Amino acid sequence: MRLGIVRGHVILNLAVKAFRGKTLVVLEPVTMENLRARNGLGGGKSLVAIDALGAAKGQMVAFTEGREAANPYWPDAMPVDAYCSLIVDSIGIEP
Amino acid sequence: MFLARIEGTTVAAVKHPTLDGCRFLVAQRIEADGSVGLEPIVVVDWLGAGNGSMVMVSTDGDIARERLGNTTPARMVVVGIVDQVQTEGSTRQVKA
Repeated sequence: MRLGIVRGHVILNLAVKAFRGKTLVVLEPVTMENLRARNGLGGGKSLVAIDALGAAKGQMVAFTEGREAANPYWPDAMPVDAYCSLIVDSIGIEP
Repeated sequence: MFLARIEGTTVAAVKHPTLDGCRFLVAQRIEADGSVGLEPIVVVDWLGAGNGSMVMVSTDGDIARERLGNTTPARMVVVGIVDQVQTEGSTRQVKA
């Protein structure tokens, strides 16, 4: 998983059936430099992930990428490649 | 699989239910030339790796699925703690 900060939400007008009622968030991945600096900045290339945890704007999440991102919807087919697995409360790291 | 160094821990109250009780560590990928990756990664650890440990991480979710069930989003798992890395011309002993 990588770490990302929630920057916003995506609303789809027309979408494949599997996305109905699902929440999509825009994530900005966090670089090690920014994580150590605790400056609230991301620094990575942003991406969209599916979120079932209710992460709010500005919160940091850890997101799974790849095939495993669809596992929570198993055995249904789900065309996602990024999934918010946890909302970060704190990171214990040397500055 | 790749090598990574453990940099810290992650605490998360809200998470996918299959991840309850898992230990999450913040790690940084190590390249062959000794440089580290730009972005940190969060890995699941069942081996007890500590801060500063060099570990081998697998990006295959099979072990996680076996332990946590088919619906788990866990993917990156610590599959070993590194003792020694042998490359052409050098053998690097990793401190425990």
